[in-house]
Amino acid sequence: MLIQILNGIVYGGLLYLLAVGLVLIFGLREVVNFAHGALFMVGAYLGFSIAAMGYWWGGLLVSVVAMAIVGCLLDAMVFSTLRKQDHIVTVLVTFGILLILETVVTKVWGKAYLTYPVPPLLAGTINIGGSPFPVYRLFVIAVSVAVAVSLSVWLRYTRTGLYIRAASTDARVTSMQGINVDRLSLIVVGLGTALAGLSGVVAGPLLSLSPTMGNYILIDSFIVVVIGGLGSFAGAFVAALLIGQIHNFGAVYLPWAATVLPFMLMVGILIWRPTGFAGSRT
Amino acid sequence: MPRGVTAFSATLGAVVFGAALVGSAHAADPLKIGVPTDQSGTYATLGEEVMRAVRFATEEANAKGGVDGHLVDIKSYDTEAKPELARRQAEKLVSEGYPILTGLIASGEGLAIAPLMERWGSIYVSTINKADELTGANCVPGVFRVNTQSAMDAATVKPWLAQRKEKKWAVVAADIAWGRGSGKLFGEAVKAAGGTLVGEYYTPANINDFAPYIEQVKKSGAEGVWVVLAGRDAINFAQQSKQFGLTDAITVAGVSFTTDGTVKTLGDSAKGVYGIINYSSTLDTPENKAFVKAWVAKYKVPPTNFEGETYLGMQVIFQSVAAAKSVKPADVAKAMSGRTFDTIMGKLTIRKEDHQLLKPNYFGVVEAVDGQLRPVIKTTVSAQDVAPAVTCKMATN
Repeated sequence: MLIQILNGIVYGGLLYLLAVGLVLIFGLREVVNFAHGALFMVGAYLGFSIAAMGYWWGGLLVSVVAMAIVGCLLDAMVFSTLRKQDHIVTVLVTFGILLILETVVTKVWGKAYLTYPVPPLLAGTINIGGSPFPVYRLFVIAVSVAVAVSLSVWLRYTRTGLYIRAASTDARVTSMQGINVDRLSLIVVGLGTALAGLSGVVAGPLLSLSPTMGNYILIDSFIVVVIGGLGSFAGAFVAALLIGQIHNFGAVYLPWAATVLPFMLMVGILIWRPTGFAGSRT
Repeated sequence: MPRGVTAFSATLGAVVFGAALVGSAHAADPLKIGVPTDQSGTYATLGEEVMRAVRFATEEANAKGGVDGHLVDIKSYDTEAKPELARRQAEKLVSEGYPILTGLIASGEGLAIAPLMERWGSIYVSTINKADELTGANCVPGVFRVNTQSAMDAATVKPWLAQRKEKKWAVVAADIAWGRGSGKLFGEAVKAAGGTLVGEYYTPANINDFAPYIEQVKKSGAEGVWVVLAGRDAINFAQQSKQFGLTDAITVAGVSFTTDGTVKTLGDSAKGVYGIINYSSTLDTPENKAFVKAWVAKYKVPPTNFEGETYLGMQVIFQSVAAAKSVKPADVAKAMSGRTFDTIMGKLTIRKEDHQLLKPNYFGVVEAVDGQLRPVIKTTVSAQDVAPAVTCKMATN
């Protein structure tokens, strides 16, 4: 039972890392970034290549930094340039980026599945309630909790955090107050994309690497974002943990319905509170 | 010259020219093979193996001037391993003039197109689909299978189960026609060997985290687990169960689980895993040795099990075309039914009753050979011993 709850937190934590990036980007740019899953995938492949040389932690670092740069470029070249267009244009462009990234990765690394090693420091299992549990999974929980805590502290107690919260509520009014929303957005999209890279590396040893790996997990992240409320950071955290648990307990107690449960919850939430249970901003 | 004669000779010329055209068109009628397969779904790597084998066989045949003079032409569409999409893509291929189909991965895909063969005027040669129904309850005259079906795999695992000391088994299988069928047959084999099935877990498509299922297998008290997963599922499950210590704690065996492809990806996580082997590049027949030699010369690595089985399917199609002296699906089907073929796995026959190719099957374990991990054959079961009972009631052909 305890192990099953932990497993739910692991998967929920992974979903949170992806979903919060989506929420950050949506808050400032009001676009759903379809390329997010592909950025997660590129992050995983970058980390993998460096981990394969024997530098697991170096892979993590390089992947996060590289994806932060990619995020800044994405914001400056796509989101900022297209901000006066209809949002659907930007969404379609992100979809195009997804296809390009998948093709590039297929060309560089090939279509065959790759397995990401577990860092030697985190290999093995420890006994929890008499049952072996992989140390690496505890690390995944630790990473997502650390990200959640530091993100909420940053957003709540720093000036930049205040601006971001303000801009997420209403970007136009915020810029009228003399805040440079474009620069803010550069930071936020960079951060959101860096988190996609981070989750890619962290998820690597759990999932096999393939050019389409992002698609499998992005759908669950979208469900998290919708349930938590678009633009709500705390909502994403709660929703991610909820979906993680539903995945696990669904598989154990209602196996025939395991795949539809998250969707049913999403439909229910959309009927009950169309903005998500914590989504009051949008 | 009088006008009548001119007209006559012109007509005669046209007739002769026309006849020549028809004649040459007949000789050059290409053999058009449609290959709907998974290029981006859960089984995308299997689809890649299928395409490699189809291309290899095609180039080999065309280098010799085609099959009985017919140049081979192939065309492929992505099915994402989804039955509904497979039906549409297969129909598209047939309507574009590729009426001989092969290459579908998931059994559900094959079962989806099988009933349409007659309407489309096409035939389908399965090289990967394992669900018994395809050549059993749902059999049709236009469908043939050259790969082993689940019942043949079950017959292969029985003698192995009988000599194992594990009595409590669990099943982890893909929640599709193949997984359900193979899981059920394995459960029956366990009971026949005096054991008990303590848990059956069917996992949905495109799942990321197998942890809830791994945990249930551990809790069930199973001493062994039978895994019916392929492609991405197989790799995720193997990797995660290794991390949970399951692979080291209990016996792991399966079908399509430890293939040449997954073993190469998994490395040490696959060591010691038992499994059904449907084709191995190490088979000691002169035809297979020649095939492997030509393959290695081209691709540098030996062919995988799926590549071998797909190549075998192409051999069957080619030899049927040569025997029928026609590329028309109906003629090819007629020649294929009940014929004995010279294949890389020896002389094998497609049964008239259900269109299943009878072939030997193997059981083995993943071991290091010359420092390279690969599935190694330990037991061979002859074609007669794995031949499944005929359950097909086909309209006569």
